[in-house]
Amino acid sequence: MSLNNVLPFLSTLVMLVFTISVLQRYVVRRQLHFLFWGIGLAMFGAGSFAEAYLALGWNKWVFFVWYLFGAALNAAWLGHGTLYLLVRKRWVHGVTAALVIGSLFAGYLMLQAMPKLDESVFTTSKPVSEQYGTKALDAGESAPEGALTVNTTYRGEEVTAVRGLLPLGTPVRLTTPFFNIYGLLTLVGGAIYSAFLFWRKRVMPNRVVANVLIAAGALAIGFASTLTRLGYGQFLYLGELFSAILMFVGFQLAAKPQPNEVPAQQSVPASAD
Amino acid sequence: MTERKLTTSKSHMPKDSFLFEKFVPASLIVMGIVMVGLILFAAGVLLGVVKF
Repeated sequence: MSLNNVLPFLSTLVMLVFTISVLQRYVVRRQLHFLFWGIGLAMFGAGSFAEAYLALGWNKWVFFVWYLFGAALNAAWLGHGTLYLLVRKRWVHGVTAALVIGSLFAGYLMLQAMPKLDESVFTTSKPVSEQYGTKALDAGESAPEGALTVNTTYRGEEVTAVRGLLPLGTPVRLTTPFFNIYGLLTLVGGAIYSAFLFWRKRVMPNRVVANVLIAAGALAIGFASTLTRLGYGQFLYLGELFSAILMFVGFQLAAKPQPNEVPAQQSVPASAD
Repeated sequence: MTERKLTTSKSHMPKDSFLFEKFVPASLIVMGIVMVGLILFAAGVLLGVVKF
């Protein structure tokens, strides 16, 4: 077993401890942002575990979990927790409804894609995130060395495509950017905004650092995933572990009470209390 | 009647700290730029401009 097989299991372990810690806070305090963070973290952990499993062998339902929770939904649910913390308006409940319906719809589309999976292209020699998508080649573009190709019709045109697990034009793949854009805006944008507010007021240094760590952790996984699709998959598992640790440390730091902290400060945005 | 003493017990950032004077603002700007870059990348994927 190589280091790359061990790293996703370590990420899963970190996310498991993190998820339990956040859900415990929800049980005690009944604040909805903890629930959404807990759900998002559980999805992140499930995605990490699925990735670790798929580095050892194939199972189509583990792939289902990896794509739906690990690649599509987790950032949006994590970010939605941050939105609940920062914005205490009624319209946020409408966004919750849209997120739930959108997630169920993505699940339905993923179920539709399951019988069409091209399982024959799967290999344990590279991360699943390097092999899930079928990619159409431009005219004159050559396939990477060793890649399996197929000639098919896509949007009314005959194209040559590098084969992946999900067929070309699978509808569920169109939903992923929506969730990831929303997750990036709310999770990273929310953490940057919170850190900036505290920094500008020159207060709560631990929460400034905490929010910087949370934003950096969320960006690390986004960056590692993008690098993977650009052909630099060797950084993915390390990026995931780095991301899990940064966000966990950030959360713990934000939750730590300040010396002489007054109760009124509990309502300041981006506190993780 | 006793007067409640209101103390300024907020935790403040240390003065002349490299971390808070230079590193934090620089990292917020860099992360903001990276976030916008990743959002544009995802939007490009959605619109079919970027093959992913």
